[in-house]
Parts: sequence; C-alpha cells; structure tokens
Amino acid sequence: MTTLTNRPASAPGSSAPKKALMERLNVFTAFGLGIIMAVVFWYAAKALLPANTDGSFIKTNRDQWVLLSMIGWFIGFMTGIGALIGPFRWLLGKDLNHDENMFYAGKDQGVKRYFRYTTDHKVVGIQYLVVTTVIFFVGGVLAMLIRTNLGHPGGGWLQPQTYNAIVGTHGIIMIVGTIIMITGPFGNFIMPIMIGARDMAFPRLNALSFWLIVAALPPILSSFFLGGIPTGWSAYNPLADQAPPGMDGYIMFICIFAISTMVAGANITTTVVKMRAKGMTWNRTPIFIYGTVASVALALPAFPVFFLSQVMSALDRATGSTFYDTRGGGSGWLYENLFWIMGHPEVYVILIPAVAALMEMAPVFTRRPLFSFNLAIMGIAGISGLSVLVWAHHMYMTGWAPLLAGPFMLTTELISIPTGMLFLVLIGTLWRGRLWMTMPTASIYALLWNFMIGGITGIYLSDVPADAFLHGSMYVTAHFHYTLMGAGLTGAIASLVFWFPKMTGRMFDKTLSWVAFWLIQIGFNVAFMGMFMVGLAGQPRRVEAYAHMYSQGNMITTAGAYVIMAGMLVLLHGMITSWRSGVMAPMNPWFGKTLEWTVPNPVPLENFEVLPIVTEDAYGYGRKQS
Amino acid sequence: MSEVETPKRPSILKSKDVRMTAILWVIFTAIIGFVASTVQVRAMGAPASETMATTIKMMRVFTWAASPVAGLVAAMAATTLLAKRHYGDTPPEDADHEIRSSAKASSTWLVVSAILCLFAVIWGMIVLQNDNAALLNAKAMNVNVTGQQWVWNFDYVDNGGARSQDLYLPVDRPVVFHVTSKDVLHSFWIVQMGIKIDANPGYVTETSVTPNKIGIYDLRCAELCGLYHAYMQKKVHVVSQADYDTWIQSQGGKA
Repeated sequence: MTTLTNRPASAPGSSAPKKALMERLNVFTAFGLGIIMAVVFWYAAKALLPANTDGSFIKTNRDQWVLLSMIGWFIGFMTGIGALIGPFRWLLGKDLNHDENMFYAGKDQGVKRYFRYTTDHKVVGIQYLVVTTVIFFVGGVLAMLIRTNLGHPGGGWLQPQTYNAIVGTHGIIMIVGTIIMITGPFGNFIMPIMIGARDMAFPRLNALSFWLIVAALPPILSSFFLGGIPTGWSAYNPLADQAPPGMDGYIMFICIFAISTMVAGANITTTVVKMRAKGMTWNRTPIFIYGTVASVALALPAFPVFFLSQVMSALDRATGSTFYDTRGGGSGWLYENLFWIMGHPEVYVILIPAVAALMEMAPVFTRRPLFSFNLAIMGIAGISGLSVLVWAHHMYMTGWAPLLAGPFMLTTELISIPTGMLFLVLIGTLWRGRLWMTMPTASIYALLWNFMIGGITGIYLSDVPADAFLHGSMYVTAHFHYTLMGAGLTGAIASLVFWFPKMTGRMFDKTLSWVAFWLIQIGFNVAFMGMFMVGLAGQPRRVEAYAHMYSQGNMITTAGAYVIMAGMLVLLHGMITSWRSGVMAPMNPWFGKTLEWTVPNPVPLENFEVLPIVTEDAYGYGRKQS
Repeated sequence: MSEVETPKRPSILKSKDVRMTAILWVIFTAIIGFVASTVQVRAMGAPASETMATTIKMMRVFTWAASPVAGLVAAMAATTLLAKRHYGDTPPEDADHEIRSSAKASSTWLVVSAILCLFAVIWGMIVLQNDNAALLNAKAMNVNVTGQQWVWNFDYVDNGGARSQDLYLPVDRPVVFHVTSKDVLHSFWIVQMGIKIDANPGYVTETSVTPNKIGIYDLRCAELCGLYHAYMQKKVHVVSQADYDTWIQSQGGKA
C-alpha cells in the first residue's frame, strides 16, 4: 500500500494539470453507471436466458433477471465510483504517483472529497456517520409504521403483505445500521488517531468498505417495489424460497454488505495490530480499541458464513438448486444453522464496541482510572470466544438435534460470566468517582439499566424449558431491542456526542443532547416494557393483528415508540444544527487523555505532525492517596 | 453474598458510601425481585399444564436469583450518582484515589457469577430432562399436527384417524404431538401449556404435554409463515375424558 507516507501534511503537491479520469468520478457517476449497467444486465438476461418450462424447482425466470440486474448495478456502481482505478493502474504497470495518492486521500478538495472514493480515514468516518444516520432514519420510519399499524387490535391499515415487508426491511436495515454504527464512524475516524497512526493500514480498502455499503442500499430499498421481504430479517427457508423477487434485494444487500464487513474487519484488525504508536503496548492500548477489534474480528468468521448462506439461497431461488429444500435432499435446518452461526456473533459485533466506547468515556467523566482494565479485556475476549459457540440457542424449538439443547444452554449461560465482568468494570469505575454530569455520563447509567434488563431476560430465553414458552413471542423482540438498542444504540449516541467535537470541530448542543437522551430513554423503556408484557401474555412476534387482550400493552408500546421518535428527531436536529453552527470546540473539550485529543481541530490530513510516543496508558486520572 | 458489597480495600473505604450502598442494595434487591417476578408471573397468566407451572416457577426463581446482582449494580451506581455530581463545561477535580483494580472484588464477583450461572444451567437441565422423558411415555395418546399456510390440521391417530381444525384434548392424559408442515416453517405453540415446536416440511418433530385443567386455550403459530401468519391461530379445548369420547365419535373416530 502506497497511499500515505511519513511526509507531514503540509508537503507541497500540485494536482495534475488536466483532469484525469479518476478526478471525474464521484457518487453521481457511480449511480449513473450503476443504473445503466442494471438496465443492460436486465435486458441481456431477459434476452439470453432460456425460459423455464420444465416444471422443475424454479417457477419463473424473474429471480434470474432481478439478481443479474442487481449484479450489473453492483459492477456499474463500483466502477463508476472509481474502485477499480487503483487495481487497473497497477495491472497496467502505471501505479499511482504521489500526487494521485494525495488526490485519493482528499487533499484540498473541500466538501467534494466526501462524495468521492476518498481514502482518508477521517473522510470515510464522516461518510459512515452520514450513511448510518440515513439508515437509522429509514429504519426508524419503518419502525413507526409498524407501531402505528399495531396501535389497535385486529388488522391495521396496512395490507398484510406491506406490513410483512416493512417488518423484514426494518429488521435487516437496523441490524446493518447497528453493526456499522460504532466501528464505521468512530472506528474509522477516531480509532487510527487514538492509536497514534496517520491512517488505516489499507486506506483504499477503507474507501472500498464504505462504498460497498452505499452500493448495497439500493437493492434492499428496491425490494419494496419487487414484492417486499416477507420473511423477517432472518429470511428463513423455505419461506424465502417462496418469496417474491424482493427477496433477491435482500440477498444482494447481504452479499455486498458481507464483503464490506470482511474488508473492513481485515483492515481495522491489521491497523490495530501493526500501526499502534511507539510505546503503545497492549497494556497501554485504550479499551475502545479492544472493543473495536473484538467486534470486527468476530465479524471475520461470521460474515463469510452469512455471505455463503445467501449465495445458496440465491441459487435455490434462481437456478433450482435445493440446498434448503427437503424435496431435493436439502434442509431448512441447514439455513437456520448457517444464519445463526453468523447471527449470534453478530449481536456481539453490535454490542461490544458500544460497551467499550462507554468504558472509554467512564474514566473521563468520573475522573478516576478505569476499574480493572484486565477484567475488561477478559470480558471482551470471553464474550467473543463464547459467542461463536452459542448459535443453536436460536434453534431450541426447531426440532433440530434435541440432544444439543443442553450443551448450547451451557455455553449460552456461560456468557453471563464475561458479561458480568463488563458490568463490574463499569460500576467499579463509577464507584467513588467524581461524576461529571454530561450526556455520555448519563448514557453509562442508561446502558447499565437497559443492558441489565436485556441480559437477565436473555437468561430466561437461554433456558430451554422457558424458551419453549417465550420463543417466537414479543418477549424475544423486546429482549433484543433492550440489548441492541437500549445498550448498543445508547453507546453509539453517547459516542456521537463524545467524539462530535473531534469529528466536526464543534460541540454537540448540550441542551438538545439532554432532551434527546431523556425522550429516547423514557420512550424506550415504556415501549419495550409494554412489549415484554404482551410477549409474556402470549403475543407472537411479527404479527400484523393481535387479540383484544393485548391492546393495552400494544398501545403503551406504540405511545413509547412515538416518544422515541420525538427524541430521535431532537437528536437529528441537534446533530444538524450543531454541525452547522455549534460552538467551536477546543482541542480537548472533555480533558481526556487518549491521543485523539492531542491533535488540533480540524484534524490535519495525516493527523500528527510528529508521531507520538506513548509512555503510559490513558487512564491516569485520580490523585494519589496521601 | 454479602462480601460483594465491599469491593474495595477496607483501608481506603469511605464508610459513608459503603453504608449507603448496603442499604440501597437491600432495598433495590427487594424491589427488583418483587416487581420483576410478580409482574412477569401475572402477565403469564394461569398455567394449564405442569410444564407451564414449572416454567413460571423457574422464571420466578431466576428473577429472585438475579435481583441481588441487579440490586448491587443499581446500588453502587446510585451511590455515586447521589454523592458527587458536578455540572459545568470543565471537569471536576480528579477523584481522591487512583484505584485500578481489586483482586478481592474481581474474584468474588467471578465466583458469585459462576455459581449463579451454574445454578441456572443445572436447574434448566433437570427440567429439560423431565420434559424429554415425557416424550417416551408409552401410555400417551398421539396426535399428528400438520401446519400449512395458514391452518392447522389435527389427526387423532389413536382414535381411528379423526381429523379436526380445532384441537380437542382429554384432561389429565399425556399427549405426544408429531408435528410437520406441508409448505413453510410454522411453530406449534399452545400458549397456556408452555409448549412449542417448529413444524418443518419434510421432518416430523415431537413435543408432549399433559393438560391438567378443563378449559379453552390458545394455539398460535410462532414462526413467521407468510401473509396471514397473524391469523394462524386456533383454540385448544381441554375436556373431560367422557366429553372427549363423545366428541371424537361425532367426528367419525372411535373412542
């Protein structure tokens, strides 16, 4: 990799005199070429593929056309954004020169570099932040449609097909949003500075991982116009096999997103292992770095499996293969296994960086050292290790391998031990600290509360006989919202407020952050407590109509959801106004000790004038006992 | 577990904080345990089988076992919150200590959480073992359950193959369900009896229960199965053996 050298950021470098191809490409050319290629592939597929009339496992050709058209979109988009220029230039023996690399890094391009294939990790971080916000906005709108539809018993105002499509899209888009919400924006923008590096190990792969996510979004959104995703986010077969072409949008979305996650995982892991500042031993590496690495390293084994499971799903739909079809020797249980081999590590991919981010903030806002750094690492490592051994607890009630219920119950409940370590680290750090009341501080409390409820309800669900009652009910939905939203998203929002000054150069509006915090947390607890209640009373999840006995609980949940929505809009408003016209932030507004607070605002192109040398860890708060 | 309340070396303890935490711990534990177990158990309603009664009991016990942990976390967090808050744009002065770890607190915490974890696992295993043993009961009556989009069919194979779409069961008689599906995944869930098993096309899965109360209960599909998943629900009629015999004959079966 050649992009960044040890030159200081101010080194002179003039851009090329005439506009080269790579300078013309941006998000607009990408969308243009993507759409053209999608259309070309659609008509080519239609013209060239033989019609299926043999009555085999495929009913129509639609899935072939749709999948190929989406592959066309993908190729066109990635070409149009300029992802192939580097490899092609290298192939032709004309590798990029210094000026061209500086152009790729976004030097002197102002706002334009945010719309390009830019390799600077700070640009990629901001791009991730904006796209994550967009994803949450879309997913949030879908959530509000669901809750509005469930406002009263009996069928709502949405057609069942529309409702199921909304549930499925809300699920998968929020999962993707939460996977990238911390390692995307903060893992890219903050993490390299925090370890004292000038950029990521593979800056072009960094840009690639981001633009892959942008390429993945149109397929999932197009599914609404192709009959929707009727399967929920888990896309179980054979329902997925039976589904309309909207399902192909889901499959392409996952395939492209999985590549992005694998690329980002390899990149972030390599960066942390190889590029930490001189003197930053593993004992001096901040806990947020551990959380980020654990998250992306877990994704490394998990997402290839997800990718593969969807490729097989696509082949079943489009070519009549029968991986998941018992009539052809396949098995739906195979899909469920593959899905959850990804699916359970994936929830810790979401959760660990959120907890680690709040652990990073805890010493800053209590002005005392992090309590038991070693236990925090043990906890993260323990959760990561165990999480790949627990997937079949999602399958207790499938009837698959009943003998395995006991072993999976054991591994699942063992996770409570490393999870408990994380709790001890957080309360140990709060204990006898001087509490500086900021919105991130309050978020630590909110995380403790929500994660405690999410964790304990998880113990009931991990217990096979209790799961025989709770599985597939609204109780499960409430449980994972408590962990992924109550704990995960709370950590991400706190991270936004905490690192906003470094990323944008302005402070996040204090009042708005507090208003948003309270609205979101109160609304959240009202909404999902109501959901626990109806789940315990026997309401299945993913239903568009329910019995009258559940109307009270559902009304409470819907009311809570509207309060969350108000809070989210306040947060969005705060984010936009603070970004445009907030108070200019000092270099180190929180008086923190990690390296990102030692660089000026805005952060210069290669972060550090002189690379730092680390002599102690970042938690040297507190005074010696006299 | 009272040693958990003092996770710091006694020499540097501020006794005021510890006292406060101890009092709050007792209060929070009681409140959390009582509210969480009562509310959950009430929401689950009256059980219609021993299986469900066991599940309810287990949730109550697990809740009480977890509440001291939740109570301690809440108490320690609350003590700090009540004692030393600082508002403003600049940080308060640093805390008056630099404690980085405590072997005693960490090891106590680890031991206690490991014990609680094993307690939950062992309890769960014992109950699971009983549930599994019930499947092998030779005296149980057999019902074949077939899910299809979006109805259930019940075949009373021990009663000459009568078929119904609402489920009828005699009270106090063990029954084993052999569950399958014609199209996509469904999940066979009798809510008040606390049993559930997926219906898979191409496979037969089994679950069993002994209904112990006469009444009408809810049967729901618990696995998203397409357009009318929400409407794939039926009633379970638990009746006396005499009523059951009458009913099965009216369906063309033999008692």
